[in-house]
Amino acid sequence: MSTLAPPLPETPEIGQDLDALAGVLAKFPGSITPQEGLDQPTWIVRREILLDLARELRDNPATQFDMMLDLCGVDFPDRQPRFDAVYHLYSMPRGARLRLKVPLNEDQPLPSLIPVWKTANWFERELFDMFGLKVTGHPNLRRLLTHEGFQGHALRKDYDPARRWILTEDQMYQPHFDLPEGQDDLFERMTVNIGPSHPAMHGTFRLMAVLDGETIIASDVEIGYLHRCFEKMSETHTWNQVIPYTDRLNYCSSFINNVGYCRTVEKLLGVEVPPKAVWARTILSEFSRIMDHCVCNGSTLVDAGALSNFWYFFQPREEIYGLLESCCGARLTVSYGRIGGLSQDLPPDFVERSRRLLEIIPPFMEDVEKLIDKNRIWQDRTVGIAAISGEEAVNWGWTGPCLRASGVGYDVRRAHPYDLYDTVDWEVPVLQGGDVYDRYRIRMLEIRQSLKIIRQLLDRGMPEGPWITSDPHVALPPKEACYNQMESMIYHFKLIMDGIQVPAGEVYSMVEGANGELGFYIISDGTSKPYRCHARGPCFPLFSTFSRLINGGSLSDAIVSLGGLNIIAGELER
Amino acid sequence: MALKVLDDKDDTKIIGESWVTTRFEDLEDWAQRNSFWPFPFGTACCAIEFMSTLSSHYDVSRFGSEVVRFSPRQSDVLLVAGTINDKMAPVLKRIYDQMADPKWVISMGACACSGGFYRAYHVMQGIDEIIPVDVYVPGCPPTPEGLIYGILQLKERVSRDRKKQRARVERAGKLPEQEISDRVDARPTPS
Amino acid sequence: MPPAPPAGRPVFKGPYPPHPKTTTPYKPGLAERLYLPLLGGLVVTMRHFLKNLFGAKMYTIQYPEERRDYSHRFRGHHILTTRPDGSVRCVACYLCAQACPAECIHIEAGEHPDVNIEKYPVVYEIDMLRCIFCGYCVDACPEEAIIMSNNYDMAYFNREQSIVGKGDLMKPYTFDEDRLGYRPRYPEEDAKRSKMRRDAFNLVDEAKKAREREELAATSATKAG
Repeated sequence: MSTLAPPLPETPEIGQDLDALAGVLAKFPGSITPQEGLDQPTWIVRREILLDLARELRDNPATQFDMMLDLCGVDFPDRQPRFDAVYHLYSMPRGARLRLKVPLNEDQPLPSLIPVWKTANWFERELFDMFGLKVTGHPNLRRLLTHEGFQGHALRKDYDPARRWILTEDQMYQPHFDLPEGQDDLFERMTVNIGPSHPAMHGTFRLMAVLDGETIIASDVEIGYLHRCFEKMSETHTWNQVIPYTDRLNYCSSFINNVGYCRTVEKLLGVEVPPKAVWARTILSEFSRIMDHCVCNGSTLVDAGALSNFWYFFQPREEIYGLLESCCGARLTVSYGRIGGLSQDLPPDFVERSRRLLEIIPPFMEDVEKLIDKNRIWQDRTVGIAAISGEEAVNWGWTGPCLRASGVGYDVRRAHPYDLYDTVDWEVPVLQGGDVYDRYRIRMLEIRQSLKIIRQLLDRGMPEGPWITSDPHVALPPKEACYNQMESMIYHFKLIMDGIQVPAGEVYSMVEGANGELGFYIISDGTSKPYRCHARGPCFPLFSTFSRLINGGSLSDAIVSLGGLNIIAGELER
Repeated sequence: MALKVLDDKDDTKIIGESWVTTRFEDLEDWAQRNSFWPFPFGTACCAIEFMSTLSSHYDVSRFGSEVVRFSPRQSDVLLVAGTINDKMAPVLKRIYDQMADPKWVISMGACACSGGFYRAYHVMQGIDEIIPVDVYVPGCPPTPEGLIYGILQLKERVSRDRKKQRARVERAGKLPEQEISDRVDARPTPS
Repeated sequence: MPPAPPAGRPVFKGPYPPHPKTTTPYKPGLAERLYLPLLGGLVVTMRHFLKNLFGAKMYTIQYPEERRDYSHRFRGHHILTTRPDGSVRCVACYLCAQACPAECIHIEAGEHPDVNIEKYPVVYEIDMLRCIFCGYCVDACPEEAIIMSNNYDMAYFNREQSIVGKGDLMKPYTFDEDRLGYRPRYPEEDAKRSKMRRDAFNLVDEAKKAREREELAATSATKAG
């Protein structure tokens, strides 16, 4: 069990400690070229020293880059070397970020960084799948997101976005198990396939487990059953047209994805969002977070057999749907954000409806807590299950409520504040247990904190003014101007036909999604379509740890721990 | 291709049929169409809207679909909710094949109906590439009422079809089961 | 004035907490071991049950007899608006087709006899099964020719039926105010906002008048006294 951690002391602003980075630079003379003028310190690194550099960055007490947030590839077909492997690193104790770019050609392999950060496993598989870049030292370098019958590498620039390959049953994925040594008694083992069409697998995951009696001794997970090619689609659509695609990443809290993407592009553009839109974005993000936590806890409880809570959790969701629908017209996939603000003005009764919601939601939470918190059945099923320590979780790349349940209080809204989060009084709940029970509890605590944030913002009152920037090169002009003035009509026409022209550059920006740090790494080449838009879904590292979490437990524990992680397939597989 | 609706002008007077058997068949029809047991093949956002339909606000159990069976052997409506991509396609086909006749398919949402806005390298452009669909429910995701409307349309379609189908079959002199299997075989397979 | 942001950023400063299994042993109390809190849970469910049984407001919307009261911004079935003479307002500028992320709008333009309205769509089709109901076409239209309605009852039996043509989409603009959805302008909201501003202004005005009356009463009292 667990208690709420005491509030951690505020540390002075450390920021990007350039001396420490300079120290590491000096250890690798001639192999690292710093790139100036970007949003984060960026180094262009030669692949030969990559593994040593990674070790140094992680172990050096001055830099302490203990988390690898993201690894993605970029294809520059007109350049030699053709590909870039881009690593985003984060130092949890210092709050510092670093980007490493490794230029390489197709025939040059990368060293695997699994010995340094365990989270690199799946990221490297995805790199291989999407770009064809080989990684030496990887235990299972196979396709991750696309199917086994797929040929070619999808995110390369010369790959036709609509070219499909048919998968036949004989080509389906064969599992790769890390069977423990010394187990000779083969007669007692059974391999069980769970999913992908299974009620507890939330639709699209495949778990293959080797069971010895009731205990799972080895397991393998297959994903890719909802790979919808978000990154390729974002290269073929204009900047604003990508927003409906972002909705469908984490579809349980779709507005947060809109905000994350729009913020990233706004950073590249340098456009300022009016206060009313910032206020509304914060409030609606918090409501979306509440919705997502409701679904997560509701589904986990259903998987464990506690069905009433599912009905109790879905009622607040319906009420929040009513609010979102009154703002933008859709319940689930809202597409309410636009680059520069919101798509339409807030309705006149927004504040009243939100206040009513603040009264409606807590009774349902209390009902569920009375049913579940002290319930011995639930505690027997979840306490101590799938426990992971904070340090290991950080090494696996975890962020979000699951990391905070393991004792590490990292929340993007507190560590790197954006919108109005640093102007309201709220706390980051942190629990020490690291098990499924704490992941459930922390979501309930976060719902309470979200309600607190919303209440304070509503008390402050809605700011007056426009809901989107007035820069005509970014946002559509208001309709009255468009119907009556020629100039506005021309801007409107150009924006629809050509799209926003975002100046060339690259940026990585993050928001706190319901599952953790939702990051967007966007590269623009100055045209109306993104050159590369990579979404760092927080579920991706969470699910890559799944095998390690369930080994040694029973099958029923595996089902409950999957629910506790809140894996949304849209975000996992983009 | 959906089940073909037979013409109203068909003569429904059957030779050899009695009042009792027609009433019994009507009873069977009524029971069938008021108790669709769905198999929710939910993959993405539409599955969340389906969960909303199940929950107390819309309550699809008012239409007999309370029992959500995750086993293809025990269900009769395959409700495909969410994007189906090429990796999932063999799984979907296998589930559909495992379902016992009579079975129907409701395709929920833009992605299942036609691929939606994912004209991409890994997304199937509509599940009717591999299985026959009876009702298409558009929307992204369709509201729960839209889905219930689709279920009601299926209900109406099913009862209308079965009466006419039985009439045509008995006049032709074949057994109903054989006629049904002929129809299933005659459904055009997508190329 | 909102409070100043707190100084400093990272919340967590090492060392990491030790592995949970060694520090948080699970020790349930006697009541929990005897499953007594489950009685509290039974009280909760029984309360809901009895409340629902004896005439409480049920949340269930009895569709199709009852319909949910969606807002007037709902993104439902599209409407092609018409001019007063009944012809379609659309001028086939292709902006909606360009803005659509799903590329589900198909237009073929033809020449309009009136030289002020140069073009009109001979064919205007929306593939409802591709449409993601994002409303980008409504945002893009410069003529307010395409809007969305409150209507979500759509189900088709085959693909051909789902490609909706101009005839099925055209409705006069004044078509049943209750059934309109996502549009560029909402006159009912503007009216509401003006009323809210007027009420707020009236309150301020009333307060000002009350102060003036008091001052007048005070000065006349001092004059009399």
